[in-house]
Amino acid sequence: MAKCDLSIELAEDANFLYEGGGTVRGKVRVNVDQDVKCSGLVVESVWKTHGRGNVTSGTFASATLFQGEWVAGQVVEYPFELPVGDWPPSYHGHYLNVDHYIDARVKIPWGFDPKASEPILMRPTCGPEAAVTKKAPSRSVFAGIFIGVFMMIWCSGFMFFMVQNPFSLICVGIFPVLFAVGYAIKVLLPKYLLGEVVYEVSPTVVAPGDQVTGELVLRPRKNVSINAITLDFEAREVCISGSGSNKTTHKHVFFEQTTELQSATTLAAGQERRFPISVTLPEDAPYTLDLPSNDLIWATTLRIDIPRWPDWSKEIALQVLPSGKPMERPSRSIGGASADLDSDAAAAGGITFAETANHLWSIRDDSEQLATLVDAVTGLSFRIEAFVERRLLYAGDEDPHLFKDGYAVWAHYGEPPLPLVLYVPHQLADEFEQIGRDRWVGQGTIVGWDDRHRRLQIKLNA
Amino acid sequence: MDGPVVPLDRRRAPHTGLPWAWCNLWRNPFGELTREERAELAVVDVATLASHVHHPRTALQLIGECGRGKTTRMLALLRHFPDASYVYLDEDLPCGAIAEGVPLMIDEAQRLPRKVMHRIFATGLPLVLATHRDLTRPLKKAGYDVTTYQLGDTNNAQLVADSANRRIEASRLGPGPIPTLSRHDADRLVSRFGSDIRGIEGYLYEQVQLQVYSDGEMRFVD
Repeated sequence: MAKCDLSIELAEDANFLYEGGGTVRGKVRVNVDQDVKCSGLVVESVWKTHGRGNVTSGTFASATLFQGEWVAGQVVEYPFELPVGDWPPSYHGHYLNVDHYIDARVKIPWGFDPKASEPILMRPTCGPEAAVTKKAPSRSVFAGIFIGVFMMIWCSGFMFFMVQNPFSLICVGIFPVLFAVGYAIKVLLPKYLLGEVVYEVSPTVVAPGDQVTGELVLRPRKNVSINAITLDFEAREVCISGSGSNKTTHKHVFFEQTTELQSATTLAAGQERRFPISVTLPEDAPYTLDLPSNDLIWATTLRIDIPRWPDWSKEIALQVLPSGKPMERPSRSIGGASADLDSDAAAAGGITFAETANHLWSIRDDSEQLATLVDAVTGLSFRIEAFVERRLLYAGDEDPHLFKDGYAVWAHYGEPPLPLVLYVPHQLADEFEQIGRDRWVGQGTIVGWDDRHRRLQIKLNA
Repeated sequence: MDGPVVPLDRRRAPHTGLPWAWCNLWRNPFGELTREERAELAVVDVATLASHVHHPRTALQLIGECGRGKTTRMLALLRHFPDASYVYLDEDLPCGAIAEGVPLMIDEAQRLPRKVMHRIFATGLPLVLATHRDLTRPLKKAGYDVTTYQLGDTNNAQLVADSANRRIEASRLGPGPIPTLSRHDADRLVSRFGSDIRGIEGYLYEQVQLQVYSDGEMRFVD
C-alpha cells in the first residue's frame, strides 16, 4: 500500500484547450497515510500516444516541488506552473491518439512510488517550420542501417554458399531474381507503354483548408488503352504494435476522396496529355504526425489503370502542419481534442457557424442581403449545433440536396433560433431517430436557403 | 478536378474533449501498453511461477501459441526479480547480445542458435524460456530441472474478465464508476476466441472504439 495518495488539481477545467507553448497551472495535493521520506515530488508536462501502436511519449518540462519528510495525517498542497509542449498536438483517432498530461510522482526510497496523472488538451500554435523540426528523427537513417546490415549479411551468405556449393546458388540467387521481377512488374512494364510519366503536386507542406495543385503529364510510347486515370486523396493512421516477428501494422483510412481524371479511353502514342490536379484539405484536417510506431499520413496517389497490364501509380505524401496563426485558424473538430468548447461550431474560412447564424438572423428580413450572404457561405462546412424540431415526411422529389435513402428534418440553431433544414444521410438516420427533438451536434455543409420556409439548408456529412 | 471536400470520419467529427470521458476513462483500455504497464497489469500467479526458478540449473518453460500470454508472464516475472534480465530474439536479425540475469529470460527461445544455446545452458543460470518448441531435451542434457507450462488451457473466462477489468481500471480518468466486463461477457468471448487473449483484446478494442463520444452504458460484446 502506498504511504501517501496524490491528486492533481488544474486551474482550468478538464475541457480547457491549452495553446502549445502556453502554461498549465495547478496544484498537487498529498494525503499522507504514514510517515514518509520523500526524495522528490516531481511534476512533469508530458505527451503520450495511446491506441493500437506501441506507446511513444515525451517529456517537455519537469519540476521538483518538494523534498523532505511528511508526517502521517498531513494534507499538503504544492502549486506548480509548467509549460505545455507545442508538438505533437492532441489527437483522437481510431488507432492513434495523442494526449498531453500533467504527471506527478513521489519518489520514495525502497518503496512504491505513488503517482497521479491528469490529461490536458493542446492545440498547437507553432508554425510549420517548428512542427517539422519537432518531429521525431527520421527513420530513414535507421532504415538505411537496417538495409545495410541486411545486405552485408546477404552478401556474406552469398559468398559463403558460392564457395561451399555452387549449386546452392540457385537457392540463394532466387531472392535477387524475385526482386528484379517485382521491379519489372512495378516500374518497367508500365513505363514500356506510357514512357516517362510526370506527376507533381505543390505545395507539399500545407495547412488545413489549403488547396494543393499539380499536374500529370503523359506522352505514351505506344497507343495505350486505359480503364481510367484516378487520383486518390486519403488520410490514414498507420500504427505498429509489437516488434520483430510479433510486429503488426494497423491501418485506418479516415478520409478518402477519389477523383477520376480520365475515364476509359485510348491514349495516342507520342501525343502529350496534361491533366491538372487540385485537391483541397478539409478545414478540420488533423495534422500530419510522424511519431515512432504512430503515423498520421496525408497522401495523394495517382493511378493509371491499364487493362491486362501492371498499373502505373505514384504516391505523394503531404505534410499537413499548423499555419502558425492560431488565432486566425478555425478551432478543429477533428482530432477531437483540438476543438474549442467555447466555440459552438467549427469554422470554415475563418467564420464560425455561430457567427454565420447571427449574421443571417440579423438580416433575415432583407432578402437581398440575405441572398448575398447565403451565396457567400454556401459550400462552407461547419460544426453545427441544432435542435431538431421535426422530420419531414416529404421533402420534394426535386430537392437536389436530399440524400438517396436519406431524409430531411427541420431544426433551429440555439441562440439565435435560426430555422434550419437538415438533410440527413441514411447513415445518420438511426442517430436522428434516437435524439428525437433533442440537440444534435455534427458536421454539415451549407447548401442554400429555403425561401419558402425561410430556413438555411444544410447537408449533413455522411 | 477539385472535388467537394469530403467530411472526415463522422464518428469523430462533431465531438470534443476526451473520447472516453463519458465512461470515466482516459483511453481505450485495450490498446497497446508499455512493457512496464503490461507487467503491472498481468493477471499471473507470479509467486508460483517464480518458485520454479529460485535455484541454479532450474528452468521454467512457457510454451504456447501467439497471444497466449508467454511474454506477459515473462514481463511479470521480470518485475518480480530485481536481478533478472530479459532478451527477445528477433526472427529477422542475427541473435543479439544476451545479458546475464538471475533468472535469465529468453523470449522466442526456439530461435537460439544451437551454439549460443549450449553456451547459455552451460552457465547453469536459472532460466525462463518462452518458446514455441519444447527445449526440455537440451535443458535436461545440460543438467537442468525443467518445469513446463503449456499456456492456453488456463486462459478461462475468469482470467479474461480479470485481465480486462485490470486494463479498464488502469485507464480510469477520475473517481467514480467505470465500466466492467462481466463474467457473462467473458464467457461469450472465450467461446468465440478460445484462449487467444490477444484476439480478445483486439476485439474489445474495436468494440470500445465504436463507442467513442457515446453515452449510456459501455457494451463490450454485441
